[in-house]
Parts: sequence; C-alpha cells; structure tokens
Amino acid sequence: MLEIATVFDFAHDSVIFIVGMTAVLASLGVVLCSSPIYCALYLIGHMICLALLFLLYNAEFLAVVQIIVYAGAVMILFMFIIALLGGKKEIQENSFHRAMALTFVFTLLGELYLSATVGQTEPIKGDIPPELFGTAKAIGLELFSKHIVAFELASCLLLVAAVGVICLAKFSFAPLRRRVR
Amino acid sequence: MTQIFYDTWDFIVLFLNESVPLIVGSVKAVVIAVGIMSVVPMLVWLERRLMGRFQVRQGPNRVGPFGFGQPMADTVKLLFKESIIQSSADKFLFHLAPAVVVITAIVGFAVIPFGEPFEVFGQSIEMWGANVNSGLLFVFAISGMGIYGMVLAGLASNNKYSLMGGLRSSAQMISYELTLGLSALSVIVLTGSLNLVDMVHAQETVPFILVQPLAFLLFFIAGIAETNRAPFDLPEAEQELVAGFHTEYTGMKFAMFFMGEYINMVTMSALVTLLFLGGWNAYGLPLWSVLAFAIKVGFLLCVFIWLRSTFPRIRYDRLMTFGWKVLLPLCLLNLLVTSTFKVL
Repeated sequence: MLEIATVFDFAHDSVIFIVGMTAVLASLGVVLCSSPIYCALYLIGHMICLALLFLLYNAEFLAVVQIIVYAGAVMILFMFIIALLGGKKEIQENSFHRAMALTFVFTLLGELYLSATVGQTEPIKGDIPPELFGTAKAIGLELFSKHIVAFELASCLLLVAAVGVICLAKFSFAPLRRRVR
Repeated sequence: MTQIFYDTWDFIVLFLNESVPLIVGSVKAVVIAVGIMSVVPMLVWLERRLMGRFQVRQGPNRVGPFGFGQPMADTVKLLFKESIIQSSADKFLFHLAPAVVVITAIVGFAVIPFGEPFEVFGQSIEMWGANVNSGLLFVFAISGMGIYGMVLAGLASNNKYSLMGGLRSSAQMISYELTLGLSALSVIVLTGSLNLVDMVHAQETVPFILVQPLAFLLFFIAGIAETNRAPFDLPEAEQELVAGFHTEYTGMKFAMFFMGEYINMVTMSALVTLLFLGGWNAYGLPLWSVLAFAIKVGFLLCVFIWLRSTFPRIRYDRLMTFGWKVLLPLCLLNLLVTSTFKVL
C-alpha cells in the first residue's frame, strides 16, 4: 500500500520534472533556432508546457486560459505575420548569441534546481475553499472584488491600444503615401 | 521460486486494484478515440448519399448494398496511394500539419459527455472521457490549436494557393471563435458553470434552445464557420484556391485533413446538443441517454450536410463583414440582455 503511494508520488513528480524540462528545452529552441517558423513553434510548445504545469498544480482554468490566449490567439498572429512577411532563415553570424542563450538556459536550469531543492513549499495563503481552488469562480471572485480597479484600468489600457491601432490603420496620411517621383 | 511468483502476483493484483480509475480511463480513451475515428467513414458515406439525394442524383450506390462498401474502398485507396512531397516543401512541418489537425480534433472530443453514468461491477462508469471543470473552455482551447494545422500546412507547402488558404482559415477561425465563445457565454451565464455535465443537468426541464434561440442560431452559424464547412469553406474554395491549404497533400495525409474536419463537425454538433438541445435528456421519451444524444447529434450532422448542398459559398470580404459587423454585435446584445435578466 505504502509502496504504491510512493510510486505514484514519484510518477507525479517525474511528470512535473519532464514537463518542466520540456518547457526549458522549448525556450532554448526559441532562442537558438534560426528559422522564424520553428521559433514560433517552439514558443507554442513552451506555452503548452506551461499550461500543463498549471494543470499539474490543479489550476485548471489558468491552464485553459493560457492555451486560449497565448498559444491560441497571440501565437496565431505571430504565425500570420511570419506567413505574410515570409519566414526566411537567418544566417548565423556569430556565436555570441548562442553563448548568451546557453548562459540563459543554464541560469534557468539552476533556478529550477534551486526551486526544487531549497526549503519547504509554502501553503496557499488566503481564504479560498479547497473545492473552489483553481476554478473560474475563485479567479472571478478574486478579480472582481479585490482587484476591480486594476482590472478596469487594464481594460482601459487595452481599449486605448485597440483605438490606436484602428487610427493607425484606418486614417492614412496623404503626404506620406503619395510621394512625387 | 513460487514465493517470488506469488509475491509478484500479489503486487500485480494490488496494483490493479489501486489503479482501477487509471485502467478505466485508458479504456475509455481508447474507445472514444477509435469510435470517433470510425465515425468518419460512415459520415463521408452519409454525406455523399445525402448530397446525392439533395441534388437529385444517385450518390455512391455500386459498392455493396446502398454503397456501404464505398468508404471502405476509399480508405484502402487512400492508404495505398503514393505520398508525394515536393522538394521545396519543409518536410517536418509538412508531416506535422495533418497530425496536428487530427490530434487536436480527437483530444477536443475527450471532454464531451454523451450519456448518464451507469454502474458495472460496483464501478460507476461515466460516459465521458474527462469531466473537466472548465470543459467548454477546454474544447475552445483545443479547437483553437487546430488552426495551427491549417496554417502550418499552408506555410510548409511552399505554394501560394496553400498559403492563401492557410491565412484565410486562420483569419476566419479567429473571427468566428469570438462569436462562438460569446454566444456560449450566454449559456454559461444561465447555468453559472463551465462544466458541460452541469449544463446538461441545468436543461432537465427545458432545453436552452427555447430560452436562447438567438444564441443557438449564432452558435450554430459560428460553428459551421469554425469547422470550415460550406457555405463558409473559403480556405479550400476550388474556384479561387485550387484546394486551399491541402493542395499539395496526397494519400493518407490528405485524408487526415478530412478526418480532422469530420471529427470537428461531430464535436461541434455534440457541443450544440450539449449547450442548446438538452444533451442526453430525452424529455419523456423512453430512450437510452446515449441514444438520445446520438440522435440529436446525427440530426445536426444531417443539417450540416443539408446546408452544404443548399447554400452557395459566400465571398471572403462578406464573410468577414458578416462575422464582425453582424454576428458579433448580435452576440454582445444577446449577452447583455441575458445577463440583465439573470441579475434581475
């Protein structure tokens, strides 16, 4: 009985470790890969790994939203731009970037090691009942009670950005466009 | 020696006892995946027969009784066809794209509940792959990932038609995903849950199609656009784009795109059934819950085919205008009215 419990715990931990490693490797791919399409794909992979990590820690809603917003909406626009501009392979000029990337990755690995080993993990603070944990309801309650001002301000910010984009795209400036040859 | 054998046997029995949910889950996953994949040939047959009838012709009727052997023959043909990849294509992405389409389609179906739980050997077997708390959002997330298959097919083929098809499909699906999500949101407001099982339980007396007719209509239209079916099959418009994003694909890889499309069609019909038609509730009719669900889904699939053989394809700019300037405001209005009534 006890053995099996430990086996299952080990399985859970190893799954978390594998997903975390994949996330790190995918981010490595984003930095090291020279073709923009593959970079974007690695980034998508990284985001899916993050969503899986959220899922493994019972934050179901956050995981799904991570996939919808980042992997689904943001990255598809990246792909759009790559498709429109043509994804040419970059020629590797110097290995400085590569060295930087390696340093970055090893820093990340070090952090992973630290976070895995150092100290006890803190219990969840706050008065969220356990059956609500990770659900949309808990996040909604938190967001619309404590952080309502910040939430509304952020939505205003997004609205301003949207209006700005429409202004840039819709109203062309004639002198800039029709240049005399 | 025998002692070791008995120890191992005990361990295996203990392990099996402990991991019953795991085993049940695996079996369910296999059954659902195989079931949904074997629905596809039947659906192709149904579509070709029904289309034939709608257009006053015969449809496939030579292979076996009622042409039942036709899907089999087609599958064999597609499996044995030569797989051609042009030399300018990106090999890895070219292979990846159809796989993404099929995998996302099958995974999306995993959270669809299709019947009431029942008891076998003291184990309560639930008729769904996984009861995810935010099941509806999960389906949307996975169907959003399915777009990548088409975009990647367009990018990897190194063909202008494919690229245009891929771009069109991504733009179309992003636009209609909003409508899909917002019209589903009014049902979420009514039930107060993202869980698909809860939604079915909320419709035990009245299906939501009677409460939310506009949301049903919007959801269904957006669902057709989301699955790239006619009259919204712009990504593969033959007159303009040869065959769209799968122009360069042959054999089984070509068939995989079709498989993805048909599985998505089934998933979308199942979603409409769950959200608006009352799921597996039979409303007084003496039907097994799974059968009631299957009948509703089958009817919606026939409506999909009916629409395909009825409407001409609409122009691309009209499609986008329709999505952004008609459907989306209607959705927002509907949501506003629904939530106002809910609060009052």
